Amino acid sequence: MRYLPMAALLLYPAWGQTELDVAQGKGIFRNNCAFCHGLTGSGGRGPSLISGRFLHGSTDEDVKNVIRNGVPGTTMPSFDFETAEIDHLVGYLRTLAGSAPKSAPVPGDPAQGRQVYLRNGCSSCHRIGMEGSVFGPELTRLGASRSPDYIRESLLNPSADILDDYQGVTVVARDGKRTGGVRINEDTFSVQLRDVSQNFRIFQKDEVREVIHETKSLMPAYNSLSQEDLQNLLAYLVSLRGDVNAGAHVNKPEGVR
Amino acid sequence: MRRRARIAIAGLALAATMCGQQVSYERLVNALKEQQNWLTYWGDYSAVRHRGLNQINTGNVKDLRVDWIFQTGQTGAFETTPLVVDGIMYITGTDGYAYALDARNGRKLWMYKHTFPQGRKATAVNRGFAILGDRLFMVTPDANVVALEAKTGKLIWQTEMAAYNRGQYTATLAPLAIKNKIVVGISGAEYGIRGFIDAYDAETGKRAWRFWSIPAKGEPGGDSWAADSWERGGGSTWLTGTFDPVLNTLYWGVGNPGPDLYGESRLGDNLYSCSLVALDPDTGTLKWHFQFTPHDIHDWDAAETPMLLDLNWRGKPRKLVVQANRNAFFYVLDRETGEFLMGKPFERQTWASGLDDKGRPILTKDALPTEDGLRICPGLGGGGNWMAPSYNPETNLFYFALFEQCEIYYSNPPLYIQGRPYWGGVSRSAPGEEGWGLLKALDPLTGETKWDFRFFRPSWVGTLSTSGGLIFGGDEDGSLIALDARTGKNLWHFNTGARLVAAPITYLVNGRQYVAMPSGAALLAFALPEPDR
Repeated sequence: MRYLPMAALLLYPAWGQTELDVAQGKGIFRNNCAFCHGLTGSGGRGPSLISGRFLHGSTDEDVKNVIRNGVPGTTMPSFDFETAEIDHLVGYLRTLAGSAPKSAPVPGDPAQGRQVYLRNGCSSCHRIGMEGSVFGPELTRLGASRSPDYIRESLLNPSADILDDYQGVTVVARDGKRTGGVRINEDTFSVQLRDVSQNFRIFQKDEVREVIHETKSLMPAYNSLSQEDLQNLLAYLVSLRGDVNAGAHVNKPEGVR
Repeated sequence: MRRRARIAIAGLALAATMCGQQVSYERLVNALKEQQNWLTYWGDYSAVRHRGLNQINTGNVKDLRVDWIFQTGQTGAFETTPLVVDGIMYITGTDGYAYALDARNGRKLWMYKHTFPQGRKATAVNRGFAILGDRLFMVTPDANVVALEAKTGKLIWQTEMAAYNRGQYTATLAPLAIKNKIVVGISGAEYGIRGFIDAYDAETGKRAWRFWSIPAKGEPGGDSWAADSWERGGGSTWLTGTFDPVLNTLYWGVGNPGPDLYGESRLGDNLYSCSLVALDPDTGTLKWHFQFTPHDIHDWDAAETPMLLDLNWRGKPRKLVVQANRNAFFYVLDRETGEFLMGKPFERQTWASGLDDKGRPILTKDALPTEDGLRICPGLGGGGNWMAPSYNPETNLFYFALFEQCEIYYSNPPLYIQGRPYWGGVSRSAPGEEGWGLLKALDPLTGETKWDFRFFRPSWVGTLSTSGGLIFGGDEDGSLIALDARTGKNLWHFNTGARLVAAPITYLVNGRQYVAMPSGAALLAFALPEPDR
C-alpha cells in the first residue's frame, strides 16, 4: 500500500481547493493584495478581509467581481487574473474569513461626530465635498476606502502611515528662514509645496540651504479627545461615502434648438 | 566559357553588394575611429560609450539647447539607442515601429511597422537596431528577428526566435552584428522560459547556432538544477553583449533564474543564471563562465553591460571585462580566462559579508527573502542595472548610474500558468525609506568612488562620456544633465518633460555636434546655438 501525497488529497470540502492551491492563493494575495490589506489580511490602508463581512457582497462571485473590476472612488484597482489564479485567491480569502471575531458596526453617533469634526478645526486642513481645505487628504469617500481601525490609528498616531502625496517638507532658505508644507512635487533640482494657507511655495534647490523631508505627519495626534468624542468622530468619518465629484457641476447637453 | 561567365556574374554581384554596403564588419571593428557616427548599440564593440568630440564642452555646455524634436506618436517607454551612420539616424520605437531620420533636423525618411499576428499584444519596449552592410536588424515584442533594407525600411527577412506562447517569450534588446551573423537574446525569465542566445545568418535569417543559457539535465552545468527545474529556469539574455575581435570572443550577461524570488523548487547554483558567459561567436560554444550570484532569489540578474577595457592591472597590461552588477558589487575579470580579479561593493548592501578568492559571495544571515518579508539591500532593481555605463580614457574613470535603495523581499511558492508572471514573491519599498539614484565615478582599478551625483529618485538613464570633459546622464523626473567628468559638478540640466529610460548618444553632422536622447514619445536632439561654434 502506497501513500498518495497528502497535499493532493486534502481538499477543503466547501471550495474544492487543495492545500497547494491555497498556498498559491496565499502567494497571489501576498504579491498583489497585502500592500493595502496587510500581510495576514487584517487590514491596513485597505479594509480588513478577515471578519467574514465584505462591503461589496460576500458570495464568491461578488468578491471576484470586486477583484476583477476594482471599487470606483477608492484606491482598490482592478486585477487581470486568470481563472485559476482568482479561484486560488478567493479560496485563500475563505480560509481567512472568520479567523477574527465578526466586527460589529462602528458604534457612535455620526451627527455628534460631525460636531466634533467642526469643533476641532479638522476642516481647516481636510475637505469633505466642496467644504474645507485641500492641505490634508480629502475625506469625502473615506469610509469606503479605509478600514475603521486605520482611521482610528490615523487620528491617534498620524505618523504611523503617511501617504506619499502628503509628505511634509521644510525648506531652509540661505538666510535661515524656514518654510513648511505638503510636498506636491519634487525632483533632483526643485521642490513644490502647498503651505497651510493653501498657497503654492516653489523652490530651486541650488538657491536654498537645505530641503528637509519630515519623518512625522503634519497632522497633530488627536489623543486627548474624550472616549465619547473619539467614538462619535470615528462613526462620522466611517459614514463618509460621498461621490468624489459630488460638488462639481456636470452640464448635460440640451439638444439642438 | 560557361564557367568564366559564372565567375563574371559572381564578380558583378559581389561588386553590387560592395556598392550597397554601408557598414562593413571592418567599420564595426573600428567604430571608435568614426567619432562622428554611432554604429552599434554601445557605440562600438567594447561598450566604453566615450566619444572624442569636444565641440560641446565644460565651458559652453551651459548654452546647450534643443535643436530638433522627432515625435513618434507612440506610447510606452521609449528606450531606443539611436544608430547614426553618415548623417542618417535609425531608431526603433515601441510596438514594433522603427524610423530613419535626417540626423540634422529629425525629418523622417521612412517608417517601418512590424505586423503582429492577431491576438498578440504589442506593448513591449525596444532598445535599438544593429546595422551590417546595407541592412538593419531589430527584434520585436513577439520574439522575431527582423532584417530591413536600410535605404527603404522594407522587410527582407523575419525569423521567429521562439514560439510566442501568450507573451511568455519576448524580445527587447538591440541585436549585435558580428562578421556575417546577427546575435540576439531573449526575455521572459519572469514567465518561466528557458533562456538562450541565438545567432542568425545576416543574409538568410537562418539560425546559425543557439547557446542555451540554462543547461539541460545531463549537460555540463545541468546538475546545478534540482529535478526538472531547469525547464523553466529563466536565464533571460535581455541586454546586448560585447565583443572582442582579437580574442574572437563574445561576452553576454545572463539573467536571473526563475521563479525569481522562490528558490526551494530549484536548489543548486542554477547555472548559467546571473553569470557572464564568454562564447565563440562562430559556433556559440562556451569558452568560460563566471557566476556572480549563485542560486539567486532576488532577481539580481547579470544582464548589466560587460564593458571591455585594456588597462594596467597591478602594473601589467591586461585584457579585462568589468561590470557594475545588480547585486551591488563592481567586478573585474580577466576576459581571456574568466579569472576573478576583484569585486567590491559600490553602495549599501546587506546580503554578502564579502567575496571569497574565487569571487563567490559569502552570505550574511539576512541574505535571503522570507515568507513574511525581510529587508535586504540593494532592492530588487539593484544595485546596477541596464543603465549603460561609460569609460573616459582621459580621466581613467568608469561612470555609471545605480539605484541606492533597500526593499522588503517576500518569497512564496508560485503558480505556473503559461504566459503569466512566475515570480514566486514580491518586493516592496521599506516603510519610511525613500530610495534615490546616484551617478557614480569609480576607479575601475580599485573600485573606489571618486565622486557621486545624487538624483532625487532612482534613475534608469545610462551615461555618455565625451572629450569635452563631460558626462551626460539623466533622471527619472525627465532631466537630462551634463556633469564635469573630473568633479561631478552639475554644469547643465534640461527638463525634457517625460520620464527618461535610455542613454544619451552624441554624433557629428556637417561639423555640428549633437546629443540625442529619447524622452516620452519624442527623440530630442541638442546642440549649441550656431554662433557659439
